[in-house]
Amino acid sequence: MDTTIWIQLISSWGVPLVLLALGYGVGTSVERSHYRSLRIREARMRSLPALNLQRPPAHWKIAGAGMVTGSVVVSVDYFKRFLAGLRGLVGGRIRVYESLLDRGRREALLRMKEGARQQGYDAIVNVRLETSRMASSRRDGKGTAGVEVLAFGTAVRIAR
Amino acid sequence: MVYVPRTPPENNVSRTHPLVELATLLGGVAAAAVLLTLAAMAALDWIVPHIPPRLEIRVFGGLWPGAEALGEPDGPGARTRALLLRLATHWEANPYPLQLTLLPAAQPNAFALPGGAVGVTSALLDSVQSENELAFVLGHELGHLAGRHHLQAMGRSLLLSLALAGFHRGGSEALPLTAASLTALRFARDQERAADRFGLWLLAQEYGHLGGAADFFSRLPDAQAPQAGLRVASWLATHPLSADRVQEVKDWARQNGVPLQGPLRPLPWRHQDRR
Repeated sequence: MDTTIWIQLISSWGVPLVLLALGYGVGTSVERSHYRSLRIREARMRSLPALNLQRPPAHWKIAGAGMVTGSVVVSVDYFKRFLAGLRGLVGGRIRVYESLLDRGRREALLRMKEGARQQGYDAIVNVRLETSRMASSRRDGKGTAGVEVLAFGTAVRIAR
Repeated sequence: MVYVPRTPPENNVSRTHPLVELATLLGGVAAAAVLLTLAAMAALDWIVPHIPPRLEIRVFGGLWPGAEALGEPDGPGARTRALLLRLATHWEANPYPLQLTLLPAAQPNAFALPGGAVGVTSALLDSVQSENELAFVLGHELGHLAGRHHLQAMGRSLLLSLALAGFHRGGSEALPLTAASLTALRFARDQERAADRFGLWLLAQEYGHLGGAADFFSRLPDAQAPQAGLRVASWLATHPLSADRVQEVKDWARQNGVPLQGPLRPLPWRHQDRR
C-alpha cells in the first residue's frame, strides 16, 4: 500500500489516539494519587478550621492575625480537553473538569491551611476562593493554558 | 457555636466514568454526523434531477478547456472529440453542448464533468486499442451526464469533505473542489451500471454490436492496481467489480438481442510509439 496513505493515517488518527490514551492513562493515575494525598492531608488538617465567617466569633481571644494564601495552577490533559470539546457540542456536565476543579479547590485550601499551621495560626476566617483562567499565547490568547485556584483568608492565633 | 472537625462529603464530581462518557458522546456525535450526512445526501439525490441543465451549463460551462486545447486536427484529441459528438447524435434528449477535455495524466481514466464535458486522460487514449473501445468509454461517460450523476458525485464529494472537515475540526483537512478532488469523483455502483447500459446502447446504435466494450474494463485503474482505497469517499462510492460488469455486458447483449462481438474499427488516428 502507498506509504503516504499510512503517513497521513498515522498523522491524522494515530497521533491523536496515542495522545488520548496517554492523557487518559497518565491523567487518571495522577488524579487517583492526588485524591489519595488530598484525603490524607485533609484529615491531618481537620483540626485547623477554615471558615468563611467575615469575623472570628466574639468569644475567641485573638492573639494575632495575618493573611494566608494557598494557590494552585492546574492544566487539563488531552483526554479531558477532548471530552470537554465533545460536551461543548451537546451540553451537559463536564465531569472531567469537575474533578479537576474539585482537586484544585481542595489543594488550594490545603496549601493555605498548611501555610497557616507553619506560621503557628490556629484558625482561618473570611476564607475566599477565586478562580482565574490563564490564557494561552496560542490562538491569540483564546486558548486556555490552565486555571489558577486561589484560596485566601485571615489566619488568627488564639490566646490560651 | 462549636466547631466540629468533619470530613466533607465528596459530592462535587459527577459519578459517570469518563470512558463511559467518552463512548456515549463519541457514539452520539458520530451517529448524528452520519445521519446528517446521509440526510443531506438523500436531499441531494432528490434535488439533482430538478436542476435545469441550462443552469448547470451557465455555472460550469466555461470551466473546462475546449476544442482549442485538443492539439492537431487529426490527432487523438480532435478525433476523440469527433467520435464523442458522433455518438451523441444518438442521444436525442441531450441538453448539453458537449465538449471533450484532454487531461494529461498517467492513469487511464475518463470523467463526466459538470456543464456537459467529458474528460479523458492522455493515458487512456494511449491505451485504447480500437475505436469501439474508446466509444464505449465515451458512451459510458455520456451515460453519467444523461443520469446527472456528475452533479450528484460532485455534491457528494463536497458533502463528504465538509463532513470530514467538520470531524477534523482543525480545518487542515478542508478540501475545496480542486483538480485533485475531481479525480476522486466516483459514482455509486448502480450509477456505474446505468452508465454502462447507456454506453452499451450507444455502441449498439453506432456499430450494431458490443465489440470492444469488455476490453474497456481491463483498462480501468481499479482493475489493474486494486488500491485499497482508504479514503472514505472510495469506500462509499466505487466501481463494481470488473468481472461483474463483463457479465452484465453479456446479459445486456442477450436481453436486447445485440451481438456481443463484431468487427472492431481501428482507432481514427495513427498510434505512435506503443509501449
